[in-house]
Amino acid sequence: MGARRVLLIAVLAAAVLIGFVAVQNLASSAVYYLTPTEARERGVAAGTAARLGGQVETGSLRYDPQTRDLRFVLTDGTTRVTVIGTGAPPALLREGAGAVVEGTFAPDGTFRATAVIAKHDEQYAPPSPGTTPSHRVP
Amino acid sequence: MTPSFADLGTAALRAALPLAIWGIGAAAYAAAKRDGRALASARWAALITFLLVASAALAMVGALVTHDFSVAYVAKNNALETPPFFTVISLWAALEGSILLWTAILAGATAYVAWRGTPALPRLGTTALAVLFTMVTFFLLLVTTPAADPFVRSEIVPLNGNGPNPLLQNHPLMGLHPPLLYLGYVLFSVPFAYAIASLILGEGGDRWLVATRRFALVSWALLGVGIVAGAWWSYAVLGWGGYWAWDPVENAAIMPWLVATAYLHSVMVEEKRRLLRSWNLSLVIATFALTILGTFLTRSGVVNSVHAFTQSAIGPLLLGYLVAIVVLSVGLLLWRMPTLRDAGAVGAPLSREAIFLFQNVVFVAATLTVLLGTLYPLIAEALSGAQLSIGRPYFDRVEVPLALALLFLMGIGPQLPWHGASRATLERQFTAPIVASAGGALLAVATGLGGAFAVLTYALAAFVAATVVQEFARGIRARRTLHGESAGTAFANLLRRSGRRYGGYVVHLGIVLVAVAVATSQSKTVEIERTVRAGDRFDVAGYTVSFNGLRDVKEPQRDLLVGDLAITGNGADERLRPALVFYPHATQAVGSPGISAGLRDDLYTILIAYDTSAQTWATIRVLVIPLVSWLWLGGAVVGLGAVIAALPQPKRREALRPLAEAPATVGD
Repeated sequence: MGARRVLLIAVLAAAVLIGFVAVQNLASSAVYYLTPTEARERGVAAGTAARLGGQVETGSLRYDPQTRDLRFVLTDGTTRVTVIGTGAPPALLREGAGAVVEGTFAPDGTFRATAVIAKHDEQYAPPSPGTTPSHRVP
Repeated sequence: MTPSFADLGTAALRAALPLAIWGIGAAAYAAAKRDGRALASARWAALITFLLVASAALAMVGALVTHDFSVAYVAKNNALETPPFFTVISLWAALEGSILLWTAILAGATAYVAWRGTPALPRLGTTALAVLFTMVTFFLLLVTTPAADPFVRSEIVPLNGNGPNPLLQNHPLMGLHPPLLYLGYVLFSVPFAYAIASLILGEGGDRWLVATRRFALVSWALLGVGIVAGAWWSYAVLGWGGYWAWDPVENAAIMPWLVATAYLHSVMVEEKRRLLRSWNLSLVIATFALTILGTFLTRSGVVNSVHAFTQSAIGPLLLGYLVAIVVLSVGLLLWRMPTLRDAGAVGAPLSREAIFLFQNVVFVAATLTVLLGTLYPLIAEALSGAQLSIGRPYFDRVEVPLALALLFLMGIGPQLPWHGASRATLERQFTAPIVASAGGALLAVATGLGGAFAVLTYALAAFVAATVVQEFARGIRARRTLHGESAGTAFANLLRRSGRRYGGYVVHLGIVLVAVAVATSQSKTVEIERTVRAGDRFDVAGYTVSFNGLRDVKEPQRDLLVGDLAITGNGADERLRPALVFYPHATQAVGSPGISAGLRDDLYTILIAYDTSAQTWATIRVLVIPLVSWLWLGGAVVGLGAVIAALPQPKRREALRPLAEAPATVGD
């Protein structure tokens, strides 16, 4: 009976510990998916991880292969955000086409992208101007 | 006018549906009344259903091969220029074809149970047959209605089709990875059907489990090897140098595999100790429900994933099916709970059954935490309307410690006897492995592996490897003494005569390879990115990469822009051609990495960007990824171990039975 109780307590303790670690990390790993307008309205704090969806504004894409500076304007038709990154953009990140960037806002309001997400997916639909980006394909 | 392949396919599926419905009734009647004629009729219904669905799948292949663009599926997923291999495997390139393949495999499993399963266990097998017929009926309903009818005609017949999704015609692994996964997914229907049958009949015993042990093992192995093949495909095609991203569909595949792994182990506890009966039933139900949940998540468009086909009417139907399965199974389980008494209780914490119990808890925790991370975006959106995703940090931080715990349990579990271990046993079993684990940790530190988790992985991997080597060494020594066999013969006989046990050790060795590959590649990958002009060269991790310029290559079905690289150093002398691939109907180019694979490391090159005006420069990313090929190798070893464990073992003579099983017969 003693051995059984030890076993039961060990199992329960493990379950509680794992659940605790999971919930802790869930909150800190959540990346909010926003349009530039929503980001502005919510006042996303500088340094908070976020994912922005929108269109690359025509005429805004600059990439310098020597310094590897990448810069473009992401827009949802209402709000424009300057995205700054390092490294070459995904092969055909094109002006006027949709893009998703992951990173954080800098205090000056620009977005420092750690990743310009290349969804190599024909079915992947970037949000249309003015709408909330959705996980769902409309 | 001769009928087209599509006409034949449609007719075959329409004919199969009433047969499957008939099969449910015939099998149920045969089981209830023990009626031989009804059973015979159910058997023939199963066989003919399978032949019809298989012909429908072949008809789809026929429509693809003949480029019959009057079929919408062919027009969407095939083009005149598509190479023959990718034309054939387009059977599973999109939703409708995949469901058709799924139905064909399920009908095949049903026919197998009808002819081979029902004679062995008439009542249980026949009831399971009725359950399987019900599932076949559901899938036939999908493929004969607009939900997933693969043979829907095109409104306007195009002169040429779109061709497969660019990513799906870029690598031969597409021929292997999806069918393996589907086989793994679908074959688990058989243990599930037997479990449900056992609950319906109120048998309370372990017959369902013994009867479907091999099915469970084979389906688990196919799923596992399919997952590794998928990781390999992701590595070889997606051009990011990784192989696992905690994408919802990857999670959907790993979850049933995790629960099935728990099940394969706790089965042994039930067989040897008659314990954990309701637990094992729960695991089988959970595994099966997770296969359907995975299909629902990835095929309904609920979760954003690279694998999600476009949203279709199939989502709500799959969800309904899933809910029905969970409600009915759990209801049955609760109803029959009183008949599922265990013969005793788990005893000492240091016994094999206790370790299996811990292992089960960790596997289930791993599954639930993956499930939480996968579904959390949906939960959050439902509760607060916020759109968010759960990134890799969550999965890495939660699953890596659990994986290490499992590695540890994998080392000690098989070394402990049932019921409990004495101090002497512990010393005998663990002295060498503990020494080995210290060696593993030292090796990790000496080779400059960063991070506590990586060092711990090496230590535990060495620990497990040592236990496996020790088991084989002892087994071989025993056979040499008892039977006077040579070491080689003894080794072969261990695998042949005690395949379940020693095949299991081989599987463990495969997992060790995977663990080492993951730990090393995740912590020691070197990555650089350079913008280069023709004639430039640069060094990375002992290799020299020379860029010889960009070239345009035209192939019938696509255009490529190839970066011409020469690799020297570290004994390599190779040309790599990372490329951007342009398909006529795709709006985006697809990157195609150039990989020089080796046992020590892979040199992985990606063409990131180029001068679109004059092609004077290109940006190349180079990764040197150590031991990553051990991952594929580990997957193969796991598969090999499973084959050894699943092969029928020659009948042992009574006198050679282990004492624990049949003490009374020794010396008779």
